[in-house]
This record gives sequence, structure tokens and C-alpha cells, in this order.
Amino acid sequence: MIELRDFTFTYNGAVKPALQDVNLAIEGGEFVLITGPSGGGKSTLCRCFNGLVPHFYGGTVGGKAEVQGMDILRTPPKELAMKVGMVFQDPENQLVTSDVEREIAFGLENLGFPVNLIARRVEEALDTVNIAGLRFRRHHELSGGEKQKVAIASVLALHPDVLVLDEPTSELDPQSAEEVLRLLERLNDELGITVVLVEHRLDRVVHLVDRLMQRLREKGLEFDELPLTVKEARLKLQKALGKVNTTRPADEHAAKDPVMNIDRMWFSYGDRTALRDISMTVNRGEFIAVMGRNASGKTTLVKHFNGLLRPGKGRITLDGVDTSRYSVDELSRWIGYVFQNPNDHLFADTVEEEVAFSLKNRGVAPEEIEKSVERMLQRFKLTEYRKSYPRSLSGGEKQRLALASVLVTGPRIIVLDEPTRGMDFALKQELTGFLTDYCRDGNAVVMVTHDVETVAECADRVVLLSEGRVVVDGSRREALSKALLFSPQVNRLAQALSSYGVADTTLTVDEMLGQIT
Amino acid sequence: MMRELRYRDRDTVIHRLNPVVKLVWGIGLVVLSLLFSHPVYLVALLAVILIMIRLAGIWREWTPVLKLCLWLGVSIIIINALVSYHGDHVLAEAPFTLPVLGQPVITLEAIAYGAVMAVKLTIIISAFTFINLTVHPDDIMSVLLKMKLPYKSVLVTSLSTRFIPCLIDDAQRINDAYRTRGALPSTGNWFSRIKRQAGIIIPLLSSSLDRAIQVAEAMEARAFGTGQNRTYYKNVVLSGFDWLILVCVLLPLVAGILIRVFGYGDYEYFPVLQSIHFEGVPFILLGILLMLLLSVIPLAFIQRRVEFD
Repeated sequence: MIELRDFTFTYNGAVKPALQDVNLAIEGGEFVLITGPSGGGKSTLCRCFNGLVPHFYGGTVGGKAEVQGMDILRTPPKELAMKVGMVFQDPENQLVTSDVEREIAFGLENLGFPVNLIARRVEEALDTVNIAGLRFRRHHELSGGEKQKVAIASVLALHPDVLVLDEPTSELDPQSAEEVLRLLERLNDELGITVVLVEHRLDRVVHLVDRLMQRLREKGLEFDELPLTVKEARLKLQKALGKVNTTRPADEHAAKDPVMNIDRMWFSYGDRTALRDISMTVNRGEFIAVMGRNASGKTTLVKHFNGLLRPGKGRITLDGVDTSRYSVDELSRWIGYVFQNPNDHLFADTVEEEVAFSLKNRGVAPEEIEKSVERMLQRFKLTEYRKSYPRSLSGGEKQRLALASVLVTGPRIIVLDEPTRGMDFALKQELTGFLTDYCRDGNAVVMVTHDVETVAECADRVVLLSEGRVVVDGSRREALSKALLFSPQVNRLAQALSSYGVADTTLTVDEMLGQIT
Repeated sequence: MMRELRYRDRDTVIHRLNPVVKLVWGIGLVVLSLLFSHPVYLVALLAVILIMIRLAGIWREWTPVLKLCLWLGVSIIIINALVSYHGDHVLAEAPFTLPVLGQPVITLEAIAYGAVMAVKLTIIISAFTFINLTVHPDDIMSVLLKMKLPYKSVLVTSLSTRFIPCLIDDAQRINDAYRTRGALPSTGNWFSRIKRQAGIIIPLLSSSLDRAIQVAEAMEARAFGTGQNRTYYKNVVLSGFDWLILVCVLLPLVAGILIRVFGYGDYEYFPVLQSIHFEGVPFILLGILLMLLLSVIPLAFIQRRVEFD
């Protein structure tokens, strides 16, 4: 169905090709997962299936690319659009009209379909994706997951043979992401649509369980092949599991040394109460994860830490001093804040200036600035890019730069809002490495996240919010084990194996390995 | 405030009216408010738009607009009083003279003129708010297309309005990031603060460009601009009854023009406020005009009855 032979593509003005000598064949009806590191050319590959590369982007092409025997280079995008449907990462930026029905009709209108046929296709698409209830809704009334389903429906209306999705869930919360993935599975199963998916979430699952099994293999357990899902892993482990020792994974409890204290805080946006009666403490050297469903008040809570929002009722103290007396500017000396999208952090013309930016704003002496900047560039491996334009860096480099530019002032607490969203496994490891180092120096990290795996690896404490209230505030082991939705893959495996003696509080691969001998 | 000014579906007789009817009615009202300068006429027109806003159930969304109008109105009155020295009833005199302008005086006439201008502005802004809150933006697009405006221009317009809320969110986020980097200290004079504020423009622009490329890509992937004759799934279709209402909402416009042609509805502010002589013919004419403007309301109710039967 799709065939690439020695396909090479270079963007205009780029030195290195984005894709080099790619050979690949996808059969009709397959469900194909594309993984790889960030910046590895996954997006470019996706875009060549429907001719956006090279028709939209332009560039130099070598080799051959065919979709159902049609040469991508010679086929006009119109015809490719009917064969290959494409769904993008950001649900907001792929909706062109303003309501659901019109959105689904958009492609058909462009192709000049008669109105009665459009009506039928719209109906079909609504039913296939199961969103008939949303038909008259406007886009701003939809959640991210619903928007993504509308985007899928609007592509399906063209009756494509292949559906290509470029990280369709990276902007969604775990529940919506799960729903979108299930929908894709169904489209593939029932309608036989070929699905090509770029997805970090699956990548992560496969990766973790795989790693566990790989290491068990090294320890002498026998598996014929590596499992892909928790279920497969469970079945294989049950068969192969030998002796389990009784050491229980435990955490060391450090002495509590509070740095920030929040006392019975309330907050509301107009009529809508977003935070209700929140009390919590941040201790030195502590890594806190703030979790919860979308709109449960996570971001609202952490925005109070550095004064971006001010409590309606209650108070926040930093080392015993009420923070309401200080401006955001003053508080940002003690509390660093890293926004989700590193692009929002980039204001300067070079990497060097970007790191120096906060210090300059505070009137630090030039020699002092130079020293601090040098230290940060080295620590975050940015020295070779010091004269580069920040926005031209890759995603991971941008994230490091954002961190460097915030940490350069030496804040005592650093707040991160969903820093791992859309990151691949290697980038996440790099980030959490920096953060745990930073904690070890006696500083506190507060991270808003949906990413259970990362929390299981490195958080000391989990604060779980629901409807603006703190429902759980405890060690990661209390919060993450035995819970269904907020438990990591390895814990789900451990829970299933608890009758074999594996502790059901096991959270990480290493803990699991420690028990199996 | 920007978010509240978005169209939302509601089940009122006004929302059920054909979009063409609402557009013509609203624009007609704006034209009328520009035609007349007589305070009684203008106050009557203001009353009419308020009745319509009430009926459409958008009073709550409209109140912030009223607040804006009040601010604008007060500033218009003040500025007009300060720079327009016509009129015979001097309320206050400055003890100095300005070059070119002469001795500043505040006159009753200038204040009255400013007040009436403020009423006009309130009518115009309210009429557009009314259209904005009662006509689905895509319907506005369809109506424009019906008027044979080029599709691409209409689409660009509708896209840019769609992304305004996103732009506001982006600006808010980038501004927050900027503040947390110590770039907007609460000290310093206003000039340096404005200059610093300008620092968010580049990141904002670059995030908008990213967005634009992504939208273009999504459109390309769904065969936009393939050169064939495009069809339109949802068209604004006028039923027989719609045509009837459309004629009825055009009548006040015709009546208004005739009234002006016959020399009514005008008012002299300078040098002395004309007496508000308002009985007999002008009174009857205004009555007719208001009846015609409001005729859309009973028609809307009748239309709903007809549709339900």
C-alpha cells in the first residue's frame, strides 16, 4: 500500500537530509507504530505519505515513494488527500471552521462533492467516530480529546485508505489519549483502515516493560519473545517466575524542613471556584508531583507559588514570610517557574543572552553574570550553541535552555508545568536527571504532570487534586500503588503478581528486579 | 470579556431568525443612527436595540459592552467640551488663550453634542454586539459568500476571528513567563515599562507563525484550494417567510431615508440648542419608524409558531 525505496528528503536550506535512504513497506490493513528519538524525522516521514513533503514544504527528493502505486511526487495533493488522511498533534490548530459539522464537511467541500453526498458522508463520519452528540457544538466548547476526534472524523469523511497520525495524543490528558487510541484500534479492526501512528505513550509502555523483561532475561529467566503490553508481560512472567524474595521496596524518609507553607487557601476565577481549602507544605530537598485530572486545579495551584495568581482566601508563606507582600518579580528570585512549552521562555537573540536574561533584569554585575552563565551552559551541555538563535534549537535543547535560564538565578523552589508532555523517553530521563540533582542540593521541585512513570521514578511525594481539593498528599508509594488510574505500568504488573509474592507497592523496574532472583 | 463576546447557540425567537434578516436589521439600525442627529430619534433607536438584546437573552454578555460604551461616552463628552468652543451658553471660561484655538470655554452646546455622539456610538457598538452574539460566525461567512465575496478572503477573515482567543491565551502565557524572568519589575517609570512590555512581541509573533503553518498544513491535507469548483455544505437558504421578514426589516431603512429627505429628524446644536419641539408630524413619523423597526419581533414569534405547526 505504501512503499518507500531509498527515499531521501532534504528541506530547503538544510545541510543534512531529514530522511536518508528510507526503505519501508506498509501493507493494507496494518496498524503501524513509528517510534524514534525526538528530531529523528518521524514527522517528516508522516508528511511524505500524503505528499505534504515535498508538495507543501518543498525540498530535494531522492529515491521513490508510492502510495497504492501512485508516485507521490507526480500525484497532485488533491488525489493524495483522498487516499491518505492526516491528523496532527495540536488539536486546536487543525480545525479550520468553527463547528463540528462544517469541519467534517470542509474537505468534501474543497473537493467539490455534491451537497447530498456531503450530508451522507458527514453522518457516516459522525457515527464512525461516535461523536454524533457533538454535531452542533462549536470547537471552543469541546475538550482536547473531543477536538482530536473531530479532526479524525473530518479526515475519515474523505474515505481514506490510510490514516496517518502524528503524535495525536501528546497534547491530551491520559484518559482522552486512551480514548483516541482505542478509537484508532477500532477503526483498524472493524473498517480495515491502515493506521500509521507516531506515539510516545506506546513507546514508553513498550520501553519500560521491555526493559524489565530484557533484564530478567539476563538474569536467566526464559522468554521466547518480548511482550508488548502489560497483559502479555503478566502472562509470560506468571509462567516463568521462580523464587521471589521478601524484601519490600521502601523509601527513606528525610527530615522535614519546610520552606514554603500554604495555609487554607481558596481561589476562584469569577464564579468558578478553582481551589478549595488547600493546605500543604513544601520541604527542602523534596520532589513533589502535583497530579489530577484536567481542570482539577493543578496549574492554578502552582501559579500561586510565585504570585502569578494570588489567593482569594488563606495565605502562603515562604520561610515564614507572607508572600502577598512581594511582586512576581521579587518572588521569582526564590521560585523559578518553567512553563510547559519551552518556546514561551525564549526572548533573547542568542543562547548566551537567554541564560543571562533574568540576571541582567535584576542588575547583577557583569562579571558575576558571565560566571553564572558559563556554569549553566556547561551543566546543561549548551556551550557549543552559545551563539545560536534559541528558537532554532531542537526540542530537547530548548527544554535544557529553558531550565538553564530559570535555574541561573539559583531559586530555592522550581515549579514545572507538565514538562514531559510530548517528550520521548531519553529526553525525560535527561530532564529528571537534572531535577533530582537539583533536589539533592537542598532545593525543592514541584512538578505538575500526568506522567505516572516519571513520578514513580523520581518523586518523593504526590499531591493529588480533584475538583480543586487535595484528595491525596503522601509518599509516592501510598499514592501510586494499588490505584488503578494513577499507577504505573510496572505497578499494574506487580499487583497482578502479588499472589506470587511480589510486593504490590512496587513502582519501578529496579524495585521489581530487586525482588525477583 | 473577549470570551463572553463569542456566539453561543440559544433557543430564542431572535436566534431562530434567518442570519440574513439579523444582519440586514442590525446594519440598518447602524445606518439609521448615522442618518439622524435628533436626540429623541437617537434615544428611541437606543431603546429599540436594548429591547432586541433583551429578547435575545444576551443582556448579561452585553453589560461589559455597556461599560465600555460608558467609558468611551464620558471621554467623548469631556474631550468635545474641552476642544469645541462653539455655542452661546458658556458654563466656564479659561483665564488664558491658546494659540490657534483661542480662549478655551466650556459650553452647554458642546456638552450636549458630545452626549448625543456618545448615544450614537452606543447604538452602533450595541448593534454590532447584537449581530455578533446572535448570528453564528459561519452563517455570517455563508451570507458574505452569497453576496459573491471571494471565498478565500472570507475564509481568512473567519479564520482570524477564530484564532483571536488563542492569541489572547498565548499572550497571557508568554507575558507570565516574561514576568517570572524578572523582565517586568513593578518599579521604573511608565515609559521604560512599556518598552520592556514590547519584549513579548517577538515570541508572540513566532508562536502565531507556527500556528499559521500548522493550520495551512491541515487545510492542505484536506485538499484545500485544489482548484475545482468548491461546493458549500451549509448554505443560508431563505424561505418564503424569510423573504417577507427581510422586506419588513428593509422598510425602516427606506422610511428613515424618506423622513430625512422630507427634512425631519435633524437637530441644530450650535450656536444655541434647538428647542426639542416634538409633536404632530415628527412624532407620528418617529412612531412609524419604531413600529417598522420592531415589526421583526411579532414576525419572529409568528415564524416560530409556523415552524412548530
